[in-house]
Amino acid sequence: MPATAFPEVLPGIKQDQQTDSADELEPGYVVICWDDPVNLMDYVTHVFQVVFGWERKKAEKHMLEVHHEGKSVLARESLEKAEFYVHQLQKYTLNATLERDEK
Amino acid sequence: MKLIRINGDKFNFEFTPAEKDILLEVLNRYPLVPEAHHRLTKDKRLPDQQENQHLLDEALKAQKLANKKEITALLNEIGRFTVCPNGFRVFFTRGEIEWLLQVLNDVRVGSWIALGSPDPESGKKILFSEKILPHFRMMELAGAFEMVFLDALSGRAQG
Repeated sequence: MPATAFPEVLPGIKQDQQTDSADELEPGYVVICWDDPVNLMDYVTHVFQVVFGWERKKAEKHMLEVHHEGKSVLARESLEKAEFYVHQLQKYTLNATLERDEK
Repeated sequence: MKLIRINGDKFNFEFTPAEKDILLEVLNRYPLVPEAHHRLTKDKRLPDQQENQHLLDEALKAQKLANKKEITALLNEIGRFTVCPNGFRVFFTRGEIEWLLQVLNDVRVGSWIALGSPDPESGKKILFSEKILPHFRMMELAGAFEMVFLDALSGRAQG
């Protein structure tokens, strides 16, 4: 195995002849991370840094929000992008979902 | 298990023989988290929800299969673990550590689920018995290895 190789499987891309609907392209969805008592605080901070490219301070702020408030809104995105982020977070076994942005 | 040095993208660790055996034992338990644990959304009104959930399930399944193959390759790679006076030395790249963190946390979360998803803060405590002790042990061991790797990546561990 090459020293730098590691597996990367991206979400399946569905074949679609039509233009994406406005629903999929508009930033009408939020990516939420929910509190899970099993995940280590340092681990959650690290995953936020890796997935969103955040600095440690911002990642820690969201991690603490998850810990104290039970959840944190991590991003407001289109459906497609929100799905991508949920997949990335779940690869690390974080409890993340996407929800409609009610704001 | 401790970080010895960082050489470019290579993180060199030293293990005692017992630590190496335990790491391999933990990695060999992967995957543990049941498929149904991953939900795309809690909202029932989302468009194409069933199809999108299916796509997520398939992607995660493929990811876990790829990870499992990588574990086997890694553990059998000639020259990966080398003998030293205190036990073994091994190097992992940053990318491999990211992947190992995913694997270790799957084992940690899967063991936690097998324990009944305890949450001491909300009063849902672990009811210890001989039957559940192996899950508790696995959860704690996976977490301990995660911390070593996280410390290495963050620069907290001194090489």
